[in-house]
Amino acid sequence: MAPLTPYTYIQCPCSDVSPLSRSNDPNSPSTAGADDEERTFDPRAPRSNFSLYPLEYLLYCEDCHQIRCPRCVAEEIVTYYCPNCLFEVPSSNIKSEGNRCTRSCFQCPICIGPLSVASIDSQPDPNLLAAPDQAQSGTNILICSYCNWSSTEIGITFSKSNGIHAQLAKIRNGGAPRLTAKEHKEKRKEEAAQSRLAGASSPESEQNLDVETQFANLKSFYQGQLAESSSGGNGLSSLGDLGFASPNSLSRIMSIYTGGSLHDKRSRSRVGTMREALDSDEGLQLADLDESAAISKLQSEGYEATISTDQLTEQPPRLEDAHLHGRTRFTSELRPIPYLLRTKRSKRCPVCRHIISKPEAKVATTRFRIRLVAGSYIPTITIRPLNVPGGASPTSPPDALVPLQPAQFLLTFRNPIFETVKVTLATPSKTPGRFPSKVTVLCPQFEIDANTDVWDEALNKDDTDKDRRRRRGDENNNGGNGNGNGNGNGNGNQPEAGKIWERGRNWVSIVVEVVPASLRLDLLASTANLAGGEGIDAGPLREDEDILEIPMFVRVEWEVEGGGDEVGSAPGKDKEATEKRELAYWSVIGLGRVGQS
Amino acid sequence: MSKRHSIVPPISQAGPKPPVQLSSSLTIADSAVLTGSHPIAIHGETVIHPRARIESLCGRVTIGRRCIVHERATLGAVGVSGRVTENAVTLGDYVTIEVGAAIQAGETVIGDGTTVGVQAKVGAGAVVGKHCTLTPHTEIAAGEVIPDYTVIYSNGMRRTDRRGVTELRNKAQARQIEVLRRMIPSNPAKFA
Amino acid sequence: MSRRPPKGEYIETDTGNKVARKATLVGTQNIMLGGKTVIQPEVMIRGDLARSVPPTSSSGGAPANNTAVAIGRYCFLSRGCVLRPAGRLYKGVFTYMPLRMNDHVFVGPGSVIQAASIGSHVHIGARVVVGELAIIKDYVRILDDSIVPPNMVIPSFSIVAGQPARVIGEVPEGGHEAFELRDLYKTVGNNPQPAPS
Repeated sequence: MAPLTPYTYIQCPCSDVSPLSRSNDPNSPSTAGADDEERTFDPRAPRSNFSLYPLEYLLYCEDCHQIRCPRCVAEEIVTYYCPNCLFEVPSSNIKSEGNRCTRSCFQCPICIGPLSVASIDSQPDPNLLAAPDQAQSGTNILICSYCNWSSTEIGITFSKSNGIHAQLAKIRNGGAPRLTAKEHKEKRKEEAAQSRLAGASSPESEQNLDVETQFANLKSFYQGQLAESSSGGNGLSSLGDLGFASPNSLSRIMSIYTGGSLHDKRSRSRVGTMREALDSDEGLQLADLDESAAISKLQSEGYEATISTDQLTEQPPRLEDAHLHGRTRFTSELRPIPYLLRTKRSKRCPVCRHIISKPEAKVATTRFRIRLVAGSYIPTITIRPLNVPGGASPTSPPDALVPLQPAQFLLTFRNPIFETVKVTLATPSKTPGRFPSKVTVLCPQFEIDANTDVWDEALNKDDTDKDRRRRRGDENNNGGNGNGNGNGNGNGNQPEAGKIWERGRNWVSIVVEVVPASLRLDLLASTANLAGGEGIDAGPLREDEDILEIPMFVRVEWEVEGGGDEVGSAPGKDKEATEKRELAYWSVIGLGRVGQS
Repeated sequence: MSKRHSIVPPISQAGPKPPVQLSSSLTIADSAVLTGSHPIAIHGETVIHPRARIESLCGRVTIGRRCIVHERATLGAVGVSGRVTENAVTLGDYVTIEVGAAIQAGETVIGDGTTVGVQAKVGAGAVVGKHCTLTPHTEIAAGEVIPDYTVIYSNGMRRTDRRGVTELRNKAQARQIEVLRRMIPSNPAKFA
Repeated sequence: MSRRPPKGEYIETDTGNKVARKATLVGTQNIMLGGKTVIQPEVMIRGDLARSVPPTSSSGGAPANNTAVAIGRYCFLSRGCVLRPAGRLYKGVFTYMPLRMNDHVFVGPGSVIQAASIGSHVHIGARVVVGELAIIKDYVRILDDSIVPPNMVIPSFSIVAGQPARVIGEVPEGGHEAFELRDLYKTVGNNPQPAPS
């Protein structure tokens, strides 16, 4: 089984009502808060899936002083753009032209790779003909340089090398022209005139109606019908005339209650005359149940000519070929996929509506006007296994945990804010689930020094080196300088309860000891019998049930000065103005997989 | 940087120097590696990039005309069986072996105009048809037979190339070779 | 380049580049390094595949603007990756197009890069193949074993994976700092420092 890199997920309070309400008054912990702490969070509960996020995905509202996750923020679209040509699309165009790129950006219907325009008559290389300035005229095709699909396979070529979207809209697979609704009407008029002249009827093939035309025809037909039936100006008028206080409504209601009185006869008979659409002019489309063509195609071309479900779902909506919409079966029926537009979005806090993330509108820039990420407010937690005898070996891939054998991990908390923070940790002594592992946090309460300017670190390199060495054997919380032998040869480096393992400029490492549970199901059953418990689930090991996850409640406390803005300035000059802040949340520490003996 | 034109650390010339049969119009980079005991034949206008590796430990290696063998490609890698056959690897004309691709030895044949993609693997005894395209990371099992004009993409999906552009592709290959011949200093004498 | 360095695994240049002695750089006169870039052993860069000027100046004297591979600052080329300019037929003439790479680009082990341009803060995983003339914008993460098809454009803040690669997700707002390679730069070289915990 693939080894698992340790991870930390943080629970967004949006999934839990009580911490959210408590955040309104951070200074006085309510009883609800106390309750909350007693209830252990279960990372395996099905609902937890929806509230656990890696720190990078979380935002932070400075006004509510609370974590916000992608699920609870309100998004607003700032810019639409094509991910291929990177052109911005005005939002007005989205309404009129849809959510796909209308330039020349297409994806391959076979493999979804990008298609490029290539000219096939003048200059040769099929792979590398993307040069747009060349081949302004002549025959152009769309070609995929990954799977070698080309639009000639569906019988489509283009006369110009730009504006492919518009050109494609006018061509059916196979090369026949496709008419817009308006052109259809004109063509039909012409044909009608011609047939009248010729004295013979030549109705257009009914299959040729596309969705737009069909809808237009149906709409005009039924509007005509309604207008006709309501022209009498009595009871059953068109819905548009049904005002609440209109005489029409009144007469209609009267007619209902009087039950077929005299004056209704006329309108009834008229209702009878309202008929359904009869031909394609009126929007009628007969279902084509003749599959013989498809069958013979299958027989002649076989499996290779058919498409996969993935390819089908990638297909854009087919307004032009209604009978193929969602029912494309053959590769010859595929269409190039115009790129779906992408967006830049700003995000608002769901509670106070303040904007907590706002990118610059321009497509080319990656800057943000506002970007309040949780990582700059709450401590990051990194995990690595602690090998006491050999010193730290941070890069070696984690092995599976051995059941029932204590293992120690180093959790490093890094403080991003410019104040000293006090961290309090709480974990259940046994992890929830069928296979409870024992967890001991050796030092559940500690302080992390303030984050100072990065320049300090750069300028005082020696100091930071010293900082790094403030470790082991010097577990004193407020310990001064390093003790010199910074190599940490392993003498006297036993992790001790209540002591910090190591600390640095703005970080602290502590030790967590776990005793992984045995995953043996027979043991599970026997302990269940001993306990006399009923309904113990002795089913086989479920997916990822072997991952050792520790729910950990993290409470961070710090003091800010009243102004709030002058973070980092000398404390103490205005003691009364300091304000205590607190942030508490559940997190989940994933340590690794427990080995199966 | 120094005036040196390349930093090419020496590579251990493992194994014997093979008998070679090199066309005079061949372009072979100085740092290409030819090794093995069986003959290696490379035909006209083919380009062997630096650090390409051709092994004839398990039989004769034949490379057709106007082929391009890119850097780190390996032709004639010893397969699982390691058995010696008369022809280890045979490439047709206009074949492209991309960066890091590996063709195992053992009567393996790559047909004319075929492109073996970046880091693709062709197993021993596989016969790849003409004008096929193996996209990057494609793996062809030992002994498999791939029909002409097959495209293998997306981790093993197959389809038929219906572009009908083999002529154009060959022309493009010729153009590329023209350019490469000017760029890659050829040193066939080293291998003779 | 200093010619008399202590014989370490890396050659460290005045601008802070760390180039492994076991890296293969072909055509160094066409390779530009922005500084503080790490090139690990077994990396191969094809600077010799420069834009081919029409054959009038075939003497080999490199004109000033003949860069084949331009690499920015704090890039990290992991063991065994290959950087090579992509070729294309332009107006009937075959030519190589320069490969430009901005700052803070991580290229994973065994990857083969033939892009036209790569922006800043790009993470390319292990065994990735970036096809000819692909354009990768800033803050893009390409997961391991992806095949970026030729000519693909990957917009900023994309997470990309698959064969062929497609955009599978968005880099979250809090994930920008993870692309910084300053710390990684310090961990390699002739006297490497341990990674900050």
